[in-house]
Amino acid sequence: MAANMGNNTLIGKPQSRIDGPVKVSGQARYTSDYSFPGMLYAVPVGATVARGKLLSLDTKVAEAMPGVRAVFHGGNIGRLYRASFLMADLVLLDEKRPPLADNDVNYFGQYIAVVVADTFEQATAAADAVEARYAAERPVMNFDLLRGTELKQSDHRGDAVKAFESAAVKIDQVYSTPVQTHNAIELHGTVAVWEGGNCTLYDTVQGVGNHQLVMTQRLGIEREQLRVITRYLGSGFGGKISAWGHCCLAAAAARNLNRPVKLVLSRRQAFESAGHRPATQQRVRLGATAEGKLVSLQHDYVNTTAMVEDFTEYCAEASPFLYSTANMSSSSALARRTLGAATSMRGPGAVPGSFALESAMDELAYQLRIDPVALRHRNEPALDESMGIPFSSRHLTEALNMGAERFGWSQRSSEVGSMKRDGLTLGWGVAVAAWGAGRFASSAAVDLRADGTARVSCGTQDIGTGTYTILAQLVGERLGLAMDKVEVAIGDSNLPAGPLSGGSLVTSSLVPAVSRALDEVSQRLITAASLLPDVRWSQTKPEDLQVVKGRLVVKANPSGPALSFSEVLQQTGVRSLTGTGSSDGTILEKPKLSKHCFSAQFAEVTWQPEMARLRVSRVVTVIDSGRIINPKAGRNQIVGAVVMGVGMALFEGTEYDPRKGVALNTNLADYVMTTHADTPDIDVIFLDYPDFEVNELGAKGIGEIGMAGVAGAIANATYHATGVRVRQLPIRIEALLEQNQTGRELKKEPWPTHPTTKTTPQPHRANDSPDAPS
Amino acid sequence: MAPGTEDFLKLSLHINGAAHAVRVDPRTTLLDCLRETVHLTGTKKGCDHGQCGACTVHINGRRVNSCLTFAAMHEADEITTIEGLGEPGTLHPMQVAFVEHDGYQCGYCTSGQIMSAVALLKEPCGPSDQDVKEYLGGNICRCGAYPNIVAAVQAVRRQSLL
Ligand code: FES
Ligand code: FES
Repeated sequence: MAANMGNNTLIGKPQSRIDGPVKVSGQARYTSDYSFPGMLYAVPVGATVARGKLLSLDTKVAEAMPGVRAVFHGGNIGRLYRASFLMADLVLLDEKRPPLADNDVNYFGQYIAVVVADTFEQATAAADAVEARYAAERPVMNFDLLRGTELKQSDHRGDAVKAFESAAVKIDQVYSTPVQTHNAIELHGTVAVWEGGNCTLYDTVQGVGNHQLVMTQRLGIEREQLRVITRYLGSGFGGKISAWGHCCLAAAAARNLNRPVKLVLSRRQAFESAGHRPATQQRVRLGATAEGKLVSLQHDYVNTTAMVEDFTEYCAEASPFLYSTANMSSSSALARRTLGAATSMRGPGAVPGSFALESAMDELAYQLRIDPVALRHRNEPALDESMGIPFSSRHLTEALNMGAERFGWSQRSSEVGSMKRDGLTLGWGVAVAAWGAGRFASSAAVDLRADGTARVSCGTQDIGTGTYTILAQLVGERLGLAMDKVEVAIGDSNLPAGPLSGGSLVTSSLVPAVSRALDEVSQRLITAASLLPDVRWSQTKPEDLQVVKGRLVVKANPSGPALSFSEVLQQTGVRSLTGTGSSDGTILEKPKLSKHCFSAQFAEVTWQPEMARLRVSRVVTVIDSGRIINPKAGRNQIVGAVVMGVGMALFEGTEYDPRKGVALNTNLADYVMTTHADTPDIDVIFLDYPDFEVNELGAKGIGEIGMAGVAGAIANATYHATGVRVRQLPIRIEALLEQNQTGRELKKEPWPTHPTTKTTPQPHRANDSPDAPS
Repeated sequence: MAPGTEDFLKLSLHINGAAHAVRVDPRTTLLDCLRETVHLTGTKKGCDHGQCGACTVHINGRRVNSCLTFAAMHEADEITTIEGLGEPGTLHPMQVAFVEHDGYQCGYCTSGQIMSAVALLKEPCGPSDQDVKEYLGGNICRCGAYPNIVAAVQAVRRQSLL
């Protein structure tokens, strides 16, 4: 492949998506767009208490309502199995308890029944008529997670405690992030169709293969009996990796009634029972010399998890290698709360983790009176100190410098509230982040066809990340074909097993698999030459032939006579040739090099203290994540990640009633997300250093790294503008107001305004002022 | 008492220039009628509460959240959905601009964004990007393709001034 890189025509060039025309015309088929003759509609019934026992269920009224075909519950739905976690297959499943498994209620909205009727309206009305009695218990809902929780150490080197104690300068603070909900605009849904003993699930999933493995276990059928189809996904952000309970309800209902069943969750149900990013509370302790060299870094955290499911949000994942320090430790624990199952959400661990660590670094910079960019430079490691191995590719210093230049950072005056523009106070902040790079195991097939087209097939899916287009680019580039001559088949578990769309690993996983499939099909084309009527071709030894840009040539004379693959196939009477290829995953390998991607985020906020109006006006984001195969879609994805980061910083958080355990803002008006009008100017820079340790094109992922660091940069900018160090996301007006109302004259204080060397953390209660003056 | 099948309404709806005879539960929203009965699934459901804009269609040329209105209220109206705007090969200039400017990622909010954007062309929206951002404020894109969407809309507005 490397030989072709000199005359790229498709790879690394901005390409419009090949699925664009069907997306803009409403023809792309998403899960709930499928309908079948005789199809019924299912609507789940959720528990109306958060914790306790389901004592009885009265379905009589519902069953008698017009159009109702059945009301299924634990007593009549049939067996649904617990799915196991098979590491070898990397089955991802965050809610292991099957729906309706027992009478325990573990969270508000947990399914207790499902109504199936002829129409959606009938099923909805009947679901409301199902009556349940409970023995309710008090839910466990406090978000003061660190208090009283015993932590378990996960990483350490040196003696972080001792080094911290004797450090010249110390930061010791607690940072909190709330429950966040993915809220992909496409609602979760399943359309289940049984024929004989075989089931097809049209499903909203980020991994057709993963879903097939989980659902065969759930339903107690064999793999060849279940097909999963996700041709288009209305994005997922991690929320559509796990097979949630509703998938089982739809599949079981369809099996029981022997009719196709469509089940689409309401937005509220998606909040309750289809995953969320858990709340975190993180204590970060930094010890440094007076010159700003870190001597100790401790990152300890607790995240919420459901009463009966374990999920760890690895907040300190990057902390062992992001900065150089001889002494480091991290520890963590889970806090059981009366919530539905937590799951991965865009940049799990890294995103909340970076907010905490990078806020602490900013606090350290202020305490030391060192520029925040310079402080990070001062602590840039020469190698991955956690494993004692070099980085495969790390250009964070350059990312910071380039971002600083583009942002105009040299114009920054560090004093709080000192920068003004058009009557607004400006705040400038910076943060960095890291995210792992690697591959999932993957396979793919490439067909060459006599009509001059090619087909690439892979059991992966495009969740909005541009996978259709990238596959067309990879194949078109190598075969010298325009992208419209490449048919891309994905989104079907019948295709060669492909990567799950998660962890920003799809592109890097596809590159070697597709490359090997192309190698194999090229070799087959050479073999087919022996059948050509022209003896000049058929009698040339295969080892003397090669395929360049889809054309058969003589190795010794590559610019001499050539036959296109379609000519070879037409002349030999063959319709198509197939090559398959696969590559291993890197998840379980012991690395020789530390493989990551990095980002440097610069944010500008504007602040109007007279009306407590804080807006994000500008973000510059520099991405160090290998070679970008399609900069057009890549840039868009980073912009989208920044947009979500703005939401995380300023708006997003699922709110619960602590007495009832019920989520209160379960709709898109009350769970506030970034809209058009909230979107700042976003400038995306790709450093574009290929990382050939990851694959032969040097491509890594970008979906998560683009979001990590954004909230931290905004929180740091907010401090710079307002003098308020908000350590609890989202940054609410109240937090900024309370500070102003204390009468503190922010602007007049010389910087640094906020020397913090508390040695005991002050965990925040909900609605506490994040930085109440003592 | 909940309506039974005998209470279903026979409606004649004018959608994308064609008459459609349908029989629906009186509680059926225009959105569900389009998607589940007429099988025009280009119009999407993202919230069912008028909060996301994914279900935007035109009723007599004006944009409406089709999840917030009942099908039975629109017998006299001309309804236009994304399918009525253009198909691959004969795309509307706004659809072309969305492809050109990568005004989407997953594509799920896209029908609604485009229907809003096309309606906006006839609304008293000011010329700046900020004006467009306000006018499209009701169309949420969780993928965050906002700047490209605005670029696509502005490109079409510039063309139409020529
Ligand atoms: S589905 Fe109608 S506005 Fe969201
Ligand atoms: S493109 Fe995915 S929600 Fe807008």
